[in-house]
Amino acid sequence: MTWHEKYLERYKKLKSEGKPFFPYAVFKDTLVALLIFGVLCGLAYYFGAEIEDPADPTDSNYNPRPEWYFLFLFQALKLFPGNLESIAAIVLPGAAVAFLFLLPFIDRGPERHIFDRPFLTFLGLGTLAGIGYLTYQGAVSPLTNPIIEKDPVAFAGQRLYSSLNCAYCHKIGGRGGTIGPELDKGAGDESEEWLEKHFRDPQLTSPGSAMPKLNLLEDEIQSLVAYIKSLSSGGGFTEEAPKLFQENCAACHKLGQEGSEVGPDLSLIGTARDKNYIRKYVEDPSKINPSSSMPGYKGQLTDLQIEDLSRYLAAQKGN
Amino acid sequence: MAYDPTENEITRRSFLSRAIVGIGGLIGAVFTGIGGGYFLSPLWHKKKESWVDLGLVKDFREGVPVKVDFTVRKRDAWSTIESRSSAWIVTANLKEFIAFDPKCTHLGCPYRWSDDKKQFLCPCHTATFGIDGKVVSGPPPRPLDRYPTKVVGGHLLILPQKTAEA
Amino acid sequence: MNSFWEWMKTRLGIEELWNALFARHVPEAKGWTAWLYTLGSASLFVFTVQAITGALLAMNYVPSPDHAYDSIRFINEQVLLGRFLRGLHHWGATAMVILVSLHMLRVYFMGSYKYPREATWIVGVLIFLVVMGFSFTGYLLPWDQKAYWATMVGVNISAQVPVIGEYIGKVLKGGDEMGAVTLTRFYAIQVLVLPAIILGALAIHLFLVVWHGISESPTRKEDDQNKNAGTGILQ
Repeated sequence: MTWHEKYLERYKKLKSEGKPFFPYAVFKDTLVALLIFGVLCGLAYYFGAEIEDPADPTDSNYNPRPEWYFLFLFQALKLFPGNLESIAAIVLPGAAVAFLFLLPFIDRGPERHIFDRPFLTFLGLGTLAGIGYLTYQGAVSPLTNPIIEKDPVAFAGQRLYSSLNCAYCHKIGGRGGTIGPELDKGAGDESEEWLEKHFRDPQLTSPGSAMPKLNLLEDEIQSLVAYIKSLSSGGGFTEEAPKLFQENCAACHKLGQEGSEVGPDLSLIGTARDKNYIRKYVEDPSKINPSSSMPGYKGQLTDLQIEDLSRYLAAQKGN
Repeated sequence: MAYDPTENEITRRSFLSRAIVGIGGLIGAVFTGIGGGYFLSPLWHKKKESWVDLGLVKDFREGVPVKVDFTVRKRDAWSTIESRSSAWIVTANLKEFIAFDPKCTHLGCPYRWSDDKKQFLCPCHTATFGIDGKVVSGPPPRPLDRYPTKVVGGHLLILPQKTAEA
Repeated sequence: MNSFWEWMKTRLGIEELWNALFARHVPEAKGWTAWLYTLGSASLFVFTVQAITGALLAMNYVPSPDHAYDSIRFINEQVLLGRFLRGLHHWGATAMVILVSLHMLRVYFMGSYKYPREATWIVGVLIFLVVMGFSFTGYLLPWDQKAYWATMVGVNISAQVPVIGEYIGKVLKGGDEMGAVTLTRFYAIQVLVLPAIILGALAIHLFLVVWHGISESPTRKEDDQNKNAGTGILQ
């Protein structure tokens, strides 16, 4: 008798000694299903499913990360630089899948207990440990791109700005039409009330304006107001601001002809960053850029001083 | 030794069977509740409209119904669409306005105002309505539907949302 | 009632079905390891959850770059229980990957893929790959930053294949750039292609599990020789 035949005989005996699938095994299955369903409902209720900003192919500030169960593969790519990358990307996963498919033909003996199959047991545990280690490494690897938090309302306004084709007439950041005014030159300094009225009906605030009435919905008006406000340099800074810069920043940063070059030159910072971003950065650089060696100024300066300084910096556009 | 349930076993079995049906039923009921609520959510959905400016009050004439076309910008689930729509406006004194939904209350045909007969005429089943929207003759089950109106700063605004006769 | 039951029995063969699927005897697993045998049915349960929540979500989703993101926001913010249902589908996907992996590890370490259950294992590996495919294609659908960039990375990894890599990337993306066609392709694969494959594979997998019987708990070589002398298979 081969071991196949012996096995079938023995299994037949074990089966007849066993209990019916229903209700004994099914009861365990049902309990586990209940547990899983409870956990899923809890996760869905408390965390829901996140949604980030809409996809933006032009964004160079994003830190792409795969879902956590693909993270080990993502991390493995870092171990094989240059031409060797295809080993981690293709050869290893391909070999693993082929191994899994062929496993029953590779390991054909009757031994089933883990201690009777030490090689496969170690191979399995080793692979698990490797995947676990890579996943951990991937999870703690620093995000090198700065995380820029966007104000969701202003961001909705920005999307609306593009879907309404405002750029046909208006310029922002030097791009757009010339029929209407350039919006990053002063429009953001208008009051919210004025902007709101303007979007409701341009004739109310600017009689004779060529801008059409857009029949905007209430929340669309709010989004656009927030977006236009975000283009503002933040309004005026006080006479204190240049002094604050001299005392706190000039030791590392250059502004015009003054200051040192330890940190980046800030002479044109206003063209790249808005006031809110600068403010967040001054308060705690590590939140936005973990590799920065700049100290945070929250607590060092008062909130008012930081606001003043941020407005001052946002106004630095090289003119 | 073949499997042979004792009496104890039989009680245990019926207990387990009932527990399975109970737990399975619980999961099914909760899931049906969630999925059902989601599926039926249109039933609870409230339509939102915003007031539409139809122009200056002084451009209307007393006693002469006029059809005004307007563009409504509104949300259709995830997209924002602009749709063209219209209303019949009636005013007796340029202070109070009535706006009628432009569809006959019988089967939704577009009626029009006849200056000769001083009535609204429906082309489908020859229904007629008075200038106040009441049914004069024909099959319509109720007077013309109305939209809320208000006058703000010399402009006539309407809310293009059907209400029964005020 | 009685005649209804008779009708079910004679017209649908429900009694034979019940006997084959549920009244069948299974070898008793030892102690706590009995709970490891629930991983397969747990995966099946979560698959059902995914199928139902997925069908409901599809009612309010548009696979187009113009509307995908806003339709997801619509589900989250406007539809009754939408946020909850999307949460279930999202976490269900994670649970599915975990459970299927654990199920696979159970079979691997217990050596349950051996004679006569080789085919069950092979179909199981196929199901595992389909589940990974579900994860990969589903990740893109919200069309948010995370979705876009993670898929970009994933597609570029497959483009590493020597010689034909460039073409694989092009086929996955449906063109040279990621965009509208990528999204519709991924959507069709996620809701039409993969479900068809997994349903077929599941049917075969479950049939084989019932037909061969669930594997018994593994025993040591020595135990087998001592206690089961005569019937032992490892002599």
